[in-house]
Amino acid sequence: MTPKNNIVIGIVVGLVLVASYNVEANPLEFVEGLPNLGIILEEILVLENIIDNMKYVPSALLAMLETLQMAFIGTVIGVVIGLPFSMLAARNLNSKFIYAPIRILLAIIRTFPSILWAMLFVIVVGLGPFAGVLAIILYTIGFVTKLQFESIETIDSDPMDAVGSIGVSKFQLIRYVVIPEAASHLLGQMLYMFDYNVRQSTILGIVGAGGIGFFIIQYIRFFEYGKAAVYLFVVLIVVLGIEWISVKIRDKYIVKSQHGMEVTKK
Amino acid sequence: MTRANKTRDSGIETIQMTQNPSFSLISTNKIIQMSDVSTSYDSKNYALEKINLSIDRGTNYAIVGQSGSGKSTLLKLMNGMMNPSGGTIKIDYIAPNMNNKKFKKMMHTIGYIPQSLGLVKNITVLDNILIGALPRLNKVQSFFKKFPEYEITEAKRIISLVGLTGKENRKAYMLSGGEKRRVAIARALMQKPTILLADEIVSELDHVTAKEIMDLIADAQKRMNLTAIMVHHDMQLALEYANRVAVIKEGQKILEIGVEGDTIVDFQTGDMTTEEIMEMHADDTKK
Ligand SMILES: Nc1ncnc2c1ncn2[C@@H]1O[C@H](COP(=O)(O)OP(=O)(O)OP(=O)(O)O)[C@@H](O)[C@H]1O
Ligand SMILES: [Mg+2]
Repeated sequence: MTPKNNIVIGIVVGLVLVASYNVEANPLEFVEGLPNLGIILEEILVLENIIDNMKYVPSALLAMLETLQMAFIGTVIGVVIGLPFSMLAARNLNSKFIYAPIRILLAIIRTFPSILWAMLFVIVVGLGPFAGVLAIILYTIGFVTKLQFESIETIDSDPMDAVGSIGVSKFQLIRYVVIPEAASHLLGQMLYMFDYNVRQSTILGIVGAGGIGFFIIQYIRFFEYGKAAVYLFVVLIVVLGIEWISVKIRDKYIVKSQHGMEVTKK
Repeated sequence: MTRANKTRDSGIETIQMTQNPSFSLISTNKIIQMSDVSTSYDSKNYALEKINLSIDRGTNYAIVGQSGSGKSTLLKLMNGMMNPSGGTIKIDYIAPNMNNKKFKKMMHTIGYIPQSLGLVKNITVLDNILIGALPRLNKVQSFFKKFPEYEITEAKRIISLVGLTGKENRKAYMLSGGEKRRVAIARALMQKPTILLADEIVSELDHVTAKEIMDLIADAQKRMNLTAIMVHHDMQLALEYANRVAVIKEGQKILEIGVEGDTIVDFQTGDMTTEEIMEMHADDTKK
């Protein structure tokens, strides 16, 4: 370990301590508060309560279905709108005068977390899942474009040069070279984004933007922890399920097609 | 393949030229002309320096030289991918420049096979070859990837010409080195080219496959009155197939030879000393 590393570690530790003091993060308070969790768990884990609360499973599933649909629509539309922006933001396809302003715009969109977009859209279109969908779309545009243009920039320049030298249009170059070369990455990112958006959609209900989060926050507010637990459990199962499915899809269709072509170069 | 097969329409031209040098002044048959062309990748060193050459339509023009001598760079100047820092280049009397509409149109019929081939690896052989027809599609067709039936027929004809029948639907990354080269050639032929620029496309192949591919190009050349400019690693191969051979050394053209059948009909040296020429021949015989 070099002295330089020690200084860096020292600075990081110092910053953590100062920040902890500032946000009043006190480990003792955490330990003292732990028994509260016990009280909640006690209430949830009583067998008759569990059996009683089972009747909420169908409505929880219904709320989760709404959440999934929000995430699905938001992801698809966000990715579709995002793709042209990514093409304009890629440095290997555009001049500075195009990619620089587009990147700034995308960076601004990316600054807001989805929950802030959701609050904004609740004001614009009112309470309900539509506001949530709009929030997911905006968040997806900001986030997925960064992944997309970065992977577009890493594609092999040889086919781009070779096909570019035929004098094809920029659109043709994108349609016939860039998208096929980046397809497996783009699909993987879409899947990842959906995964991510399902999780996000579960909390957008907190600000009234639809989905299962709305019920969870209501039950917690009214101390109905048993019901909240059923809803949370449904979230857990569905999110895990989706993650499992997307891993399968990735392994089967995406990883396979990523095997590159090695042309021997000198 | 015998030397005799190599004779092309332009052969007559070459003979006329050598018999009567003034003929070249009134000839309108120069498809590529470079005078005093220099270029560089950085501000310090020239990759090419004061290159003069003139290529007749229909010629098979070979460029040979050691690694790093500037062969690939010379090809990139011919299709406008690089710009000269000095001198003038005319491709069919137009200066290669991607921003020039006239030249951009000409690029449609300049087939370029880079050293790395530049295939799109995740798409099929057929789709790679159809890329050569893209300049002939209208906007709607290219948006929906709807190639006219006759283009697909043409692509299939070229596929059989290059010996890839049965592999049309194979992904490009699943092909052998020789097969990939055939796809790249087919893509270039699909452009209905007037000029073919090929960068060491047979260098890494075994002798039999290399000859097959060279014969293929010679054949296409005969049918389409194609001008082929081919970079070779191997002087032997260049002498066997080309009408003219230019030797590049450290960014300069040091020698140009005209070949007719088995005889050298024209021999021009640049600033090359006799020792250097002797040295070169020694290099070639070692191979
Ligand atoms: N992209 C590049 N950036 C900087 N220098 C380059 C680049 N490409 C080539 N060069 C340099 O320009 C010179 C000529 O390169 P070029 O690729 O034309 O050689 P070559 O004759 O084709 O060699 P090879 O037989 O190895 O392909 C070399 O000195 C090389 O290092
Ligand atoms: Mg080269």
